[in-house]
Amino acid sequence: MTANRVGSTFRLLVALIVTLIMFFPLYWLLITSFKTSVELRSAVPTFWPEAFNLDNYKAAFKAAPFGRFFTNTLIQTVGIVFLQLNIGLLAAYAFAKGAFAGREKLFLLVLAALIVPEQVVFVPVYIMMSKLGWLNTFLALIVPHGASAYGIFLLRQAFKSINNDVIEAAKVDGAGRFHIIYKLLVPIARPTVVTVIILKFIGSWNSYFWPLIMTNSNKMRVLTTGIAMMKDSFAGNESMSYNLIMAGSVFVILPIVILFIFAQKYIVAAMANSTFK
Amino acid sequence: MSSQPNTAAPKASPKKKPFFHYGRIEGLKDFSLALPAILFLLLFTYYPLVNSFYLSFTDWNLIKPIKKFVGFDNYTRILTDDRFYHVLKVTFLYTIIDVIVTLVLGLLLALLFNKQSKAYGVMRLFVFMPYYISMVIASIVFIWILNPKYGVLNSFLGTLGINPVQWLNDPKTALFSLIMVSVWKSVGFTMIIFIGGLRSIPLDYYEASSLDGANKFHQFWHITVPLLSPTTLFLVVTSFISSMQVFQSVDIMTGGGPLESTKVMVMWIYQMAFEEFRAGRSSALVVIFFLIIMAFTALQFAVSKKKVHYEG
Repeated sequence: MTANRVGSTFRLLVALIVTLIMFFPLYWLLITSFKTSVELRSAVPTFWPEAFNLDNYKAAFKAAPFGRFFTNTLIQTVGIVFLQLNIGLLAAYAFAKGAFAGREKLFLLVLAALIVPEQVVFVPVYIMMSKLGWLNTFLALIVPHGASAYGIFLLRQAFKSINNDVIEAAKVDGAGRFHIIYKLLVPIARPTVVTVIILKFIGSWNSYFWPLIMTNSNKMRVLTTGIAMMKDSFAGNESMSYNLIMAGSVFVILPIVILFIFAQKYIVAAMANSTFK
Repeated sequence: MSSQPNTAAPKASPKKKPFFHYGRIEGLKDFSLALPAILFLLLFTYYPLVNSFYLSFTDWNLIKPIKKFVGFDNYTRILTDDRFYHVLKVTFLYTIIDVIVTLVLGLLLALLFNKQSKAYGVMRLFVFMPYYISMVIASIVFIWILNPKYGVLNSFLGTLGINPVQWLNDPKTALFSLIMVSVWKSVGFTMIIFIGGLRSIPLDYYEASSLDGANKFHQFWHITVPLLSPTTLFLVVTSFISSMQVFQSVDIMTGGGPLESTKVMVMWIYQMAFEEFRAGRSSALVVIFFLIIMAFTALQFAVSKKKVHYEG
């Protein structure tokens, strides 16, 4: 019995140390954002700031238009989530419950898009956006991401598991397809719908490669490309400016950390279902 | 909900009415719902994919109105370029180490954290959270942690009597530093997926083998590892594909340096297209890169056919 207890205490201790190590970079980010430039360069790094001064946050806002970056990121993210969700819901219904010739083949076409990375398509899409005059606009950030094969896949799975009788009954009552999808199926498949929204929100919020290519003006920069530019603007003098850079970084990750904490049960459930067994 | 039309519906469709016609219209309506998704994917995934193939046979600088057809010239130039083999080597080295370290650590963490209790649940979240943190931010934080002079890691190593490491400035450690960030970000995801796999293994297997006198180590190799193999395959394939595409951390942390020691494939594609303005050449590189990823993914599935145990 006692050996068992020693064992489980030891296990807890190891788990705790691992957790602290994994959390450390985020802790360090936060702590650095409060330090003065002098404290940044102390011989032995301080694990607790000498004072929690918020000057860095003010200075970060002066150094780069973070308000603008934040708004841009929000517009980009909401736009992508909105398009993908609605296009995804309609397609998921068609592929799960619809009856038309070539349904399975077309679904395979949708799924196969999963294996095409964005690095393979970015040059042609860049050219397309340039011809349309969409570079440096939200259209170039949002529209090319209008459909997500993974989102369609997840929603289709959820719709498939819903009994056909529910849909037939609604049809008999004279309900149209939009009514069936939005008023009937979405509430039943709510956990999956929420998961798709959350995962897409986080993914779009963090995206870097796409905005880097499609935009190059300060007016259109998002948080990720904005903070990378801010870091480059301190080049050569970086070790004195990490407090500002970290203050800016807090803006990038805070919404995601909050979302993660509130939505973690959906996220973990989605992960558990994502293997191809 | 109203059920008025209930009684009327069957009467309205007598036997003789051409059901085929009705079905076809309904089918078209169903199909039209899938149409937006299909159009978007055709426009922004499949057309660009085909276009990349086309561009790869041209010499074009992204601006000139005329695309000069050059046949396989771009391909022969890339395949006879020493830099291609260097970039390929760096990309594979990064991918192989990244995948192995992430999977081994992920499995160890899964074994450690797979316990039903509130404390372990909270700790799992902390381990898992970095997966959702922006790679740009992760990279910036690690540049600061790895700073040779003021960085906290060298300060810690100093207390152990280890001399300051140049991390991102040294061609020997730069790639390793990039892997460090990647592992930090994705090991929690790997852990969660492995825990899902562990929990799907029926407990009777362990009970039966304990009765037969098997120890924990024996059980791990003969029950856990084989029954976890579908999960492992999923993780190998997905992390292989995403590691091969590494770009953000390289762009932020090293820019491909020092001495091109971290110049990976996507970095080179990006530089060729947007710094050297060789759209044709970079498209040829994109095609080669895509074929390499496809080939290795197919290989992993082929090997796994023999090794993966699907239950039931």
